[in-house]
Amino acid sequence: MMSALRFNSMHFMPYAHLPANQKDHKSLWVDFSNKHYDPDKGHDLYQRYLKELVLADQLGFDAVVVNEHHNTVYSMMPAPNLIAAAIIPQTKNVRICVWGTPPNLMMPNRLAEEYAMLDVMSGGRLEVAFPLGTGMEYWANPANPATARDRFKESLKIILQAWHEDGPTKHFGQHYTYRFLNPWPRPMQKPNPPCYIVGTGSPETIEIAAQLGFGYASVFVTKARAKELNESLRERAAHYGFTIRPEQLPILNFVYVAETQERAEQEYIPHLQRFFEDYLRTSPQYLAPPGYLSVDQLKVRAAAADKMHGGFNFEMLNQAFFISVGTPEKVANDMGSWCDEMQTTHLNCVTHVADMPHWKAVKNLTLLAEEVFPRLRSRTGAGQRIAAE
Amino acid sequence: MGKFQRETLTVDGVKTVVYTAGSGEPLVFFHGAGTVDGHDFAEAWTDKFKVIVPYHPGFGESGDDPTFTDLHDYVMHYLELFDMMKLDRFNLVGLSLGGYLAAKFASEHSHRIRKLALIAPAGILDDQHPMADILAIPGEQIPGMLVSNFDVLKKRLPEKPDLDFIGDRYREATTTARLLWEHPIDPKFTRHLRRITVPTMILWGDEDKLIPVQQTETWRKFLPKADIQVFKGAGHLVHLEKPEAVAAIGKFLG
Repeated sequence: MMSALRFNSMHFMPYAHLPANQKDHKSLWVDFSNKHYDPDKGHDLYQRYLKELVLADQLGFDAVVVNEHHNTVYSMMPAPNLIAAAIIPQTKNVRICVWGTPPNLMMPNRLAEEYAMLDVMSGGRLEVAFPLGTGMEYWANPANPATARDRFKESLKIILQAWHEDGPTKHFGQHYTYRFLNPWPRPMQKPNPPCYIVGTGSPETIEIAAQLGFGYASVFVTKARAKELNESLRERAAHYGFTIRPEQLPILNFVYVAETQERAEQEYIPHLQRFFEDYLRTSPQYLAPPGYLSVDQLKVRAAAADKMHGGFNFEMLNQAFFISVGTPEKVANDMGSWCDEMQTTHLNCVTHVADMPHWKAVKNLTLLAEEVFPRLRSRTGAGQRIAAE
Repeated sequence: MGKFQRETLTVDGVKTVVYTAGSGEPLVFFHGAGTVDGHDFAEAWTDKFKVIVPYHPGFGESGDDPTFTDLHDYVMHYLELFDMMKLDRFNLVGLSLGGYLAAKFASEHSHRIRKLALIAPAGILDDQHPMADILAIPGEQIPGMLVSNFDVLKKRLPEKPDLDFIGDRYREATTTARLLWEHPIDPKFTRHLRRITVPTMILWGDEDKLIPVQQTETWRKFLPKADIQVFKGAGHLVHLEKPEAVAAIGKFLG
């Protein structure tokens, strides 16, 4: 028997007004000039995106998810805790997931404090995921990519110490010194809000999640790879005496629902194409600053990049990644099979991409909540096929 | 002309490969942040000197030590290596990052150096003529920035960069990032240069696209007695482009 399914609505909050010549830019991250950012347009987008997050609560989603990126049109959330703080008083039930701030980009005590604030403010609704941060973040912030993994581990230790032990405590490490680690407030959820590591599945980060008994949210990996990563986390966590529960393995997925298959594809695919072609576009150098990857991983990724030819291919992406576009029946069926295949109960749905207009986001959220999730919530266990199939 | 012999030593746990050729007064060469330039140019010195070319930890054929996060870690590494090799006093030649290291070593241990030669050394803070940010230059653009005449470098590069070549360069960039990502320049470095009391030569190509030749003026300020020689039509790797630069070093040290 598996526990009840859980549905998140994840929002990247992109800056959706790309200049006409944007294709001339090799990367829309790191060095894409902020002269292209118009605060008036940004204001309208924030208003709109906040509404979409709040709507997810009103429609009965289980969680909303925000994350952090810098120097890019991909995301207007260099400080996701600000967004979390803005939506907490406007929502009642949803879990507030900050997935999350790379600990290397903030002083660890400060991150422990901000997360504790959000947890207390929301009455214990916070969930956090710790990313190492994409390679791009290391070009934008004063943190050394070549020592990032060591620093990351030390940060996590400090944050957990701050949450778990009565202060003041001390920490004398390689990267940080704390003489009085004693942050007020402390989280409401004990011993800590649910924690995940989020990443693209390097063996080093899987190991960190396993050691701490954290969940692992793999992002931008293929279905086949996500399955391997989940299996690897279960196995490594068992080695450290932890049993990974299904809800600790969220599936990042891209879904869009409409009345008919044809209409769904027509309404959604152009935005998905712009998401992959433009909003995600960056250079190999920005993806892998010196030392961010091991030399072996760098070679694996360079070889994979070499094989990717041609432009956007929906059929290929649809096959490889967790993407479902279509009628409520189709999307529900796909989601159900993903859960069975991945042995998880946790669906982290990206409900808005790229320059999708507000009405489509509202339509998608509404149809997911009213037509798709009820079909799945009636499932009582893994492997059970839904009636519509 | 002597043929280089390869030797592998373990220096405080780090595999260190050293190439040695020739006989005479010892001459140690410190390579820069990349190792594509090789060391065959140094054969010209072997008829007068015992030429010793070590690979720094994290570069070329030597092993890695991720705990090396500061140039001083390399000074300590070389103190240990030179003790093992029973090198008491020697000539020291350094290129680029290796020039920075050679100058730092000499400022701390001047009594162990006979003469010092620096080829387009890094390490100087010059707001008017700053060094290019090598860690931020896309890999494929770096070769073109190293020389004025690309032909001298072309034969040392694969026709199309293969995975091993890309991996090797990434490893050397990783090692360099550990040292320089957060602090590309140590503002205290020049303060101690006055402690270099041995004859010093500084060589530069006037078309250096990585470290501008105008930095020679700053070096002159800190090392007023240094013999500064600028080679016309040469880029950063002046030792590859101008055999007369290599000969000038031999003459200066001899």
